[in-house]
Amino acid sequence: MHANDTDLHAQGASTFIDDMPEPAGLLHACPVVSGIAHGLIESIDLNDALACPGVVAILLARDIPGCNNIGNVEAGEVLLAEQEVVYQGQPVAVVVAESDAVARRAAGLVRICYKELPAVFDARAAHAQGLHIAPPRIFSLGDVDQAWKDCDVIVEGSAVSGAQEHVYLETQVAVAYPLENEGLKVFSATQSPGMVQRVIARVLDCAMNRVEVDVLRLGGAFGGKEEQATGWAAMAALAAGRLQKPVKIRMNQGEDMRWTGKRHPYDSDFKIGLDKTGRILAYEVCFYQNAGAVADLSLAILERTLFHAGNSYFIPNVRATAISCRTHLPPNTAFRGFGGPQAMFALEAAIFKAAAAMHVDPAHIQRRNLLQEGQPFPYGMPAENCRAQRCWQQLHDRFDLPRRQQAIDNFNAGHSLEKKALALMPICFGISFTATFLNQASALVHVYADGSVSVSCGAVEMGQGVKEKIRHVAARTLGIDKARIKVESTNTARIANMSPTAASVGSDLNGQATLLACQRILQGLKTVAARLAGGEPEQISIEQEQVCLDGRPTATGWNKLVSEAYLSRTPLSAHAHYATPKVFFDRSTERGRPFAYHVYGCAAVEVAVDCLRGTYRVTDVSIVHDGGRSLAPDIDRGQVEGGVVQGLGWMTLEEVRHDGQGRLLTDSLTAYKIPDLYFAPDIAVEFLDGDNPAAVMHSKAVGEPPLMYGIGGYFALVKAIRAFNPDWQPGFSAPMTPEKVLLALYECGC
Amino acid sequence: MTTLNINGKPHQVDLPADTPLLWALRDHLGLTGTKFGCGMALCGACTVHLDGEPTRACVTPISAAIDKKIVTIEAIDQDATGKKVQEAWLALGVPQCGYCQPGQVMAATALLKQKPQPTDADIDAAMSGNICRCGTYPRIRAAIKQVAGLKKETKS
Repeated sequence: MHANDTDLHAQGASTFIDDMPEPAGLLHACPVVSGIAHGLIESIDLNDALACPGVVAILLARDIPGCNNIGNVEAGEVLLAEQEVVYQGQPVAVVVAESDAVARRAAGLVRICYKELPAVFDARAAHAQGLHIAPPRIFSLGDVDQAWKDCDVIVEGSAVSGAQEHVYLETQVAVAYPLENEGLKVFSATQSPGMVQRVIARVLDCAMNRVEVDVLRLGGAFGGKEEQATGWAAMAALAAGRLQKPVKIRMNQGEDMRWTGKRHPYDSDFKIGLDKTGRILAYEVCFYQNAGAVADLSLAILERTLFHAGNSYFIPNVRATAISCRTHLPPNTAFRGFGGPQAMFALEAAIFKAAAAMHVDPAHIQRRNLLQEGQPFPYGMPAENCRAQRCWQQLHDRFDLPRRQQAIDNFNAGHSLEKKALALMPICFGISFTATFLNQASALVHVYADGSVSVSCGAVEMGQGVKEKIRHVAARTLGIDKARIKVESTNTARIANMSPTAASVGSDLNGQATLLACQRILQGLKTVAARLAGGEPEQISIEQEQVCLDGRPTATGWNKLVSEAYLSRTPLSAHAHYATPKVFFDRSTERGRPFAYHVYGCAAVEVAVDCLRGTYRVTDVSIVHDGGRSLAPDIDRGQVEGGVVQGLGWMTLEEVRHDGQGRLLTDSLTAYKIPDLYFAPDIAVEFLDGDNPAAVMHSKAVGEPPLMYGIGGYFALVKAIRAFNPDWQPGFSAPMTPEKVLLALYECGC
Repeated sequence: MTTLNINGKPHQVDLPADTPLLWALRDHLGLTGTKFGCGMALCGACTVHLDGEPTRACVTPISAAIDKKIVTIEAIDQDATGKKVQEAWLALGVPQCGYCQPGQVMAATALLKQKPQPTDADIDAAMSGNICRCGTYPRIRAAIKQVAGLKKETKS
């Protein structure tokens, strides 16, 4: 029997990289990072650090045998800074020592002299100075300029959403072991083992087949280990390759917070026009993305922002402009939602402002404009199997929203110092990597002679339950008990060229590849079974571990079948590759079909605000979520619950702050408040099931979309504040911390 | 040489008196079920029991653990309440990434041993120092209530 991860976690028996026994002679690496946001390196003095007993080596950019580049986009994505530093926390050197404590102490003794250069930390300021990662992108639909004249109501404004720190509790970590013949084996806490392998080969100037990267599981990632696990693994590999000793690198939490990027802050300008019935006729938006110092994934994230500019609404005339601005902060990076949440926040702000101008509830405008089947997104793709209206309606029906709204109105009428409010948040999230080539995966399945099964694929387990879903796919396809199936660590020697586990598609892509590999093995097994049962392979099926002929069980069970197959020299291993069909996108026209399908849903978020103190509770979240035919309903429900909590955190508590020099002030859990058990509301989730031919076994991706339900928390707070202070004009600046709520409660209308 | 009573057995460690208990457990005794999270008693991933009290091992010097009964996640199933907590954790599928979960199980067990019928306020007070970034809080609350034999109620 194979225990699943849940058992192991509850017993403390699951292994993370830091739990692995440390080999004799293990060395520890610690980066030396830039203490300024922007400047030229004038000198580096290593003498005091090298004099520390236990220091083995200090590596600089000049010690890199291959290419000093760990990114996918631009030359500036260096492993170690050479002449220029572009953010506080940028690695300049790596100290390697006999203990972690010595490495850290010596890192503090490396003296770097800089010539400081001007730095900018704000997206709009960077834009004004012409500091961009790439030229702007524009998505458009219809004719916005013509449409304004048909509008009865036009409002303009701006919306700001802040950064979000990942706070994966397992910090960035990697261990590299030198192997014979210039090989390396690297254990890295990464969502992208394939990228870590490719970048290490690039940095060390060796072939990819010399580098084996293995990932058992991650202690949280949320996007923060998609691109930004790579540098640390490359440092460990660089040191291990050069010193021919195993080398470990591990951030502590404060270092991790200071040195790595976050969810991108966005500053957006919007203009929205509606007719007097509340139909949105035109929407114009410009997104200023704070990319940080180098490209990282910013451009892909910016693109996803554009894809989600219209969220779950049909707007006939749209012009969305997106500008990635280069600042002197650590490069911002992937975080659950990947640019989509920022777009949705801006549009909800526009709808809220329009509703205020029209003296209607925002829900009236939301409802009036929900997508319907066949209506186009701003990139030309029509909505297929559209569930926007159904989710909205089912939410109202099943969760008795009219009555709850009435109860809130009554409560507010009777209470002067506490106000409640309910806001709705419909979502529509596109599923596929928008870089089309990433939509592929491989699986390698072995059936052993004892009937047990091993599955390798490119999916990294980070709490989303992908291993359990893969087991389900394999068990169902082979017709056997899930207990027989083990999903292996994610390893580049078994699976080549794997895409990151990201974009919510880990189980879609790898599940489909697993299904195909299992089918291939099954084909051979059916031939053997037909011989045993006296029929044709087409008449054979395997159900509940029993060979069936025309659907009727025979005497042959799984163990006997596998044994016979082995003895008759039938293949019991198969590799399969899956590529998502029909996805494409033409960036010259900004048109295409970038997504295999969309996930829909709608949430009602209820809050209560203490109008004396500004403190608040998110009391209840009710959701109808478009889940397809779930591979594991409990896992999917957990993903929805967790996504909501994280999204509410982004919108309410979590405020990332820097000082005027670009130094992170919120670098511990004392200064950076994330949701705890007390904060977490009651969350009721109802799934809208249904077919989804676009994903494995009609399931639907679930990792990212629920985060965006949290946006409803912001607007519920805004409504509650206005119930107390009707003159307050919201500035649409998230997160809505209790401090901001208190100010808003007593701010005069202006 | 310091003797620590861990999971019912004496263990000798040759470490300075101010060594965090977490280092002794993880690095010297190989008990890696207790996790290193923040190192500052802010996340709860390193929660163990000292004489039944939930304690952050990352900021507890081994000198403060001498003559106390130290229980870690590796042995919590030998306690009747701990066993029930683990069973509820499995029944409700609480863990996601799992990193915080040994600490959550230890904190929940300590709560339920002290208050077998905790109120929501008791649960808030006992568990709010154990951070879960995956957001498994609704299930943590439900699992605690299941052990206590309480029905899930809507928070007021």
